[in-house]
Amino acid sequence: MSKIGVLIETADQTIKTSVPGVIAAAALGGEVVGFVLDGLADTYKDQLGAFGVTELVNLTAGELVFSKAPEAAGQALACGVKAFGVTALLGVSSPVGNDLLARAAVALKAPLALDCIDVDFAKNTVKKSHFSGKAIATLEMVGSPFVCGIRPNSFEPADAACACTAKDLAVTIEGCEAVKITKITAAGSGQKDLTEAMVIISGGRPMGSADNFTILDACAEKLSAVVGASRAAVDAGYAAHTMQVGQTGKIVNPKLYIGCGLSGSVQHFAGMKTSKVIVAINTDKDAPIFSKSDYGIIGDLFDVVPALTKELAKLE
Amino acid sequence: MTVYLIVKSIFMAGLLGASFYLFGTKLKRLFTIMQSVDGENPGQPNRIPERIKVLFKDVLGQTNVRRKKMPGWAHTLIFFGFLAVQPHSLELMVRGVIPGFSVGHLFPGIYNAYLFIADILGFLVLVGFAYAAYRRFVIKPKYLTMGKDANFIILFTCTIILTFHLINACQVVSPYAAHGHDYASVFPVSGMFISLFGLAGVSPGNQIGLFELFYWIHMLTIMGFLIYIPGSKHLHLLAAAPNVFLKPLEREKAIAKTDIEDEEAETFGLGKINELNWKNVLNLYACTECGRCQEQCPADHTGKPLSPKAFVHDLKTELFNRSQKILDGKQEEIEPFLNAAEGLTSDVIWSCTTCRACEDICPVNIQHLDFMIEARKYQVLMEASFPEEMQDTFVNMENQGNPWGFSSDTRENWCKDLNIPTIRKNPDADILWFVGSASSFDDRAVKISKALAGLLERAGTNVAILGNEEWGAGDTARRAGNEYLAQAMIQQNVETLNGCKPKRILTACPHTYNMLKNEYPQFGGTYDVVHHSEFLLELIQEKKLVPGNKNLGRITFHDSCYLGRWNGIFEAPRQLIAGMNQGQPPVEMGRTGDKGFCCGAGGARMFMEETLGSYINVDRAKEIQASGADLVASACPYCVTMLQDGLKECESDIKVLDIAELLYQQVSEENK
Repeated sequence: MSKIGVLIETADQTIKTSVPGVIAAAALGGEVVGFVLDGLADTYKDQLGAFGVTELVNLTAGELVFSKAPEAAGQALACGVKAFGVTALLGVSSPVGNDLLARAAVALKAPLALDCIDVDFAKNTVKKSHFSGKAIATLEMVGSPFVCGIRPNSFEPADAACACTAKDLAVTIEGCEAVKITKITAAGSGQKDLTEAMVIISGGRPMGSADNFTILDACAEKLSAVVGASRAAVDAGYAAHTMQVGQTGKIVNPKLYIGCGLSGSVQHFAGMKTSKVIVAINTDKDAPIFSKSDYGIIGDLFDVVPALTKELAKLE
Repeated sequence: MTVYLIVKSIFMAGLLGASFYLFGTKLKRLFTIMQSVDGENPGQPNRIPERIKVLFKDVLGQTNVRRKKMPGWAHTLIFFGFLAVQPHSLELMVRGVIPGFSVGHLFPGIYNAYLFIADILGFLVLVGFAYAAYRRFVIKPKYLTMGKDANFIILFTCTIILTFHLINACQVVSPYAAHGHDYASVFPVSGMFISLFGLAGVSPGNQIGLFELFYWIHMLTIMGFLIYIPGSKHLHLLAAAPNVFLKPLEREKAIAKTDIEDEEAETFGLGKINELNWKNVLNLYACTECGRCQEQCPADHTGKPLSPKAFVHDLKTELFNRSQKILDGKQEEIEPFLNAAEGLTSDVIWSCTTCRACEDICPVNIQHLDFMIEARKYQVLMEASFPEEMQDTFVNMENQGNPWGFSSDTRENWCKDLNIPTIRKNPDADILWFVGSASSFDDRAVKISKALAGLLERAGTNVAILGNEEWGAGDTARRAGNEYLAQAMIQQNVETLNGCKPKRILTACPHTYNMLKNEYPQFGGTYDVVHHSEFLLELIQEKKLVPGNKNLGRITFHDSCYLGRWNGIFEAPRQLIAGMNQGQPPVEMGRTGDKGFCCGAGGARMFMEETLGSYINVDRAKEIQASGADLVASACPYCVTMLQDGLKECESDIKVLDIAELLYQQVSEENK
């Protein structure tokens, strides 16, 4: 029976959530050999055995830390592929996965396809989605082994418990000094990102000035919320463009969206329509936003927001 | 003397031969460039008799040029005067080579009559140039290029005309110059030069000297001019007339359909300058940088980096810079011009609202948008390079058929409480109402849709909609250069529409109207399409709707570019407004009708951030305020949104209403 290799992507000693799906994809082609780059195969083997990984290989290269040396990691994967005779190497098409799989493919001089939604080991083909799923391309992978990145959530993890043995493979890496990762800084540190926020409180033109946004800041602090703004408020110079929610600003998806003095134009609504709960505060009872909100407060935001902040403070 | 004449004859023949040879070589090169570019041949001109009429009206009649009054009249004077002196100059050329040559001996009557007229017209050139100089050196409009080129041309032409008069004057006083013909009383203007310069008192020998001096200046200037023209902006002398002859005969226009199915195609749109077609090249040759396009352009007016004049000029420069490679067949060595060639940046092509003010005003019918849209197509289809805000808009249109990404199965929700059947339920409807995306999903525009629905119900119109089967018309995608997406949307609608064979299609959105009427035929969908401004007017004229008699106050009308300039519908909405407001026609703004100012939303700009310059809609809002109107009416959902936002920005409480909303108010008033 042929063997299929899987790059076990981990971060902070945890297996990435999309990995089991990739294992399920690999299991369609034969026994699954997992490749671990952080040396913790023993820690992971029970977890991965539950999904059908039969061999879990610690790839090591002396003192080298693979997470800081992507070129070396690619070469190590290639060595693993050769040593265990796998006919295909799969991984998650994540930023890290795409990087390492591509490097491994180069080292192996093997065909590569990323962001695949299906793989057929009998025919040596993969499928990719184009134009938001309107067209599906089937690519033939000529040569063995081939390398393939699987789009997250394309395969359901399979319940295929089996015995998993951990192994070590020491590899020799040569000429991999071109790229060295010296530091990793999280993007947008300090400022919370609107697109990832669970709660957003936004102000519109009636905010009247940049200073008045401090009342939203105060409320946001109590709610662990991020402050947003409408285009009109941004245009008027009350808020930075990075705060703009809407068609031409940020598309947001919070659990709670509080709109203060927003009329609810289509351009704004298009940017926050997937919010779970929408609360609107507006003096105009006919403002279109009320027809789209779960809760509406007819009132002056300069009265309502401070009152809300005060009540939230009491809850602490 | 004889020796001199022989030398003169030889020199003249040599110089004329050389200058005409150079002129011909340059011209041939320009023509060969037109033949060597790679763009798909737009075909041979049709409807020749109509085109000949166009030549008479636009070129000889100078009607297009005179849409700008004073410069237009100045140009008319220069044009006719310059034409008029040409036979005279030709005679002098021949006489320089063959001293015995004289037309006057053969047809003295006709000859004298011609000279009489040419003498007056020639002088009028100087009048025209006096105005041109006044404009260039005193008024100095911002849209004029104040280059050496233009000044050179003024200098050249004035020299030619002045020496024309001085030669004529010498011919009156000097028997040598007269060459046996009696020129007395032939020259009404040049005659005055005699007394002005005291030529009669000059000795006969000096008269000969002066004649020869003026003659040589005249001839050398003409020959210099001849060599100078093909390399200067004055190439328009040669290219304008053919360009006007080949102009689109209709105002209505469709964006060129790109064959995206062509598997042989290596590129789409306009990326490299050699991908122009011969007609594009002729367009570029025809430009004389008069700047009228720039004067009308909303992007330029609000401080954006796009000027249609500069755009055309920069494309022409790029073409000439690469012309040797084009002629040598080294097309593969030419690089894409955007962000590489001087002045041709991404900001330039994405600033355009496709309002067509430039094309409309251009006296030589340059089709600026042919370049603009094709350049966008290349950016989107080949480089995937476009303003980042468009990313989501494209995806939304692809998935849900509307730019905001609302679920496509909620498209008909706006009218779920109204009694409007879908075409499936009412296949015999007289009117199929193509609602459009904004009018279905945007709450503000839905109010317009509801007003229109109320009017149709009141008029007893047998109407149906496509409901959730309707897809966005494709205007935004197409104008944003995403031809692939646009064609997918268009084809889907054409299939649906052809399946239900509508008798007549109504829409309240000018962008949708333009697509259905002018662009769907490219995809096998030819329909009888009516915009609601025209349709509501019909209903009033047929007395199916009777507006009330309430005074609505001072209403101004904002022309939508896609209704007006793209489709020539200027009058219907105005008549409609007058018809519902006690017969009072709308108060006109300064920029109105075919010179109307865009709201800023066209060309997919609705979905892009306006980060450069000032806001177009605010500019327009200020003009609305200045008009003294109590209310501004429009006939486009995008215009309504833009103007409303602009007026808010100006803290004005002037209301913006669609003509359907206004009429619905008035009709309800009547039936209270």
